[in-house]
Amino acid sequence: MHTWLLELWAAPAALGFALLFNVPPRALWLCAGLAILGHAARKWVVLLQGDIVFATLAAAILIGLIAEWWSTRRNEPAIIYAISAAIPMVPGTYMYQSVQALLGIASLPATETGEALLVTAGVSGVKAVMIVLALAFGIAAPLLLWPKRSSA
Amino acid sequence: MLWVYGEFLIDPKIDQAVLFMMDTMKPSQSLATILTIALQAGLLAHQSGAGTHRTSLIIQRTAKALGAARVEVIISSTNIGATIEWGSERETGFRKAPHMGANFALLTTLNQWLCAVEQGEANPELAQQALDEMAQKPVLYPRWLIIILVGLSCGSFAALFGGDSAAIMITTLGATLGMMVRFYCVLHHFKPSVFATAASFVALLCTGLLSHWTQTPEAALAASVLFLIPGVPLINGAADLLNANYLNGMVRFAMSGVIVLGIAIGVSLALRILGI
Repeated sequence: MHTWLLELWAAPAALGFALLFNVPPRALWLCAGLAILGHAARKWVVLLQGDIVFATLAAAILIGLIAEWWSTRRNEPAIIYAISAAIPMVPGTYMYQSVQALLGIASLPATETGEALLVTAGVSGVKAVMIVLALAFGIAAPLLLWPKRSSA
Repeated sequence: MLWVYGEFLIDPKIDQAVLFMMDTMKPSQSLATILTIALQAGLLAHQSGAGTHRTSLIIQRTAKALGAARVEVIISSTNIGATIEWGSERETGFRKAPHMGANFALLTTLNQWLCAVEQGEANPELAQQALDEMAQKPVLYPRWLIIILVGLSCGSFAALFGGDSAAIMITTLGATLGMMVRFYCVLHHFKPSVFATAASFVALLCTGLLSHWTQTPEAALAASVLFLIPGVPLINGAADLLNANYLNGMVRFAMSGVIVLGIAIGVSLALRILGI
């Protein structure tokens, strides 16, 4: 599959969560569109030699800004678009690698030192946590830029 | 001037406040009615995924639109409360806010309701009626559709992680089963730690058992439990912290942490059984 076409998978990934969060039907297309845009923006920043955490932060801020702009036009809360759109950037692979390595440490024979496992678990875990935090703060930050309007 | 009033001397600050209140119209409804409506609106916002700042503003704006002169709000993760005043009258009320979910359609309707109330269609009876209707409105999408589409979401995650089409299919299947378990557990009032563990266990076990079909088992396994990711508490927690609501922000992060821990436990149990 062409690598940029792969980004289109972000749309169904976001739609499932949009339904779970009971987003009104008229806003669904924006959730899906923002999800694709955000995920592609992250990939683009990574291709420009940005690291994954910074790229996630930049993409999350982009999603947050567009959601905020649209929400002031429609007088709807911005989070109804932004949260579902952010979901496809969750670092599932790093989380999984971290848990798998931790499990390896738990089942390590007493005679071995699990340094390699510890390093894998630590590095993947820290990366996952940083990406999630970048995502959460990136989405939340633009909501604060217009305190009066974004208030309720 | 002061001695004229003798023992009825009024503190100048309060005096100003009283004069200010004289300017605003006396509310036609009792403060208790206003407080009930404001707290109900706040409770709906709190339970449908609004951040602390938004919930607080909804209570304040509702009470002021209905005629209160002064509103003080407290919002913790499990309680919301408000004191509203008009002149020397004062009412205080609290509500239990047991769970924080996500219902963005309700949040949108609440926003429109608040605008209508503020624009002077402030008949409290009508406002109350509209709130009750809003609260009883069922979820927009049928449960089976949510389950299938969330399953498909996880399949898409597998594609984003570089999985092949077999990986997408088995992830969709595993996550759909996990989602069923999750709904079952939530409807039977299990705690988040329990439903996260059970649902991630089922999803990963199912995906793992079928993983010999795919060339990219890791993408499938990693994606199969992502339907449990606590997106709303994480992002609202970050918003609360940035808005200087430190306590509630930490509470939301702690809630997400418990769910993530539940996922990790479920995943590790399933991986043990699969022997991966």
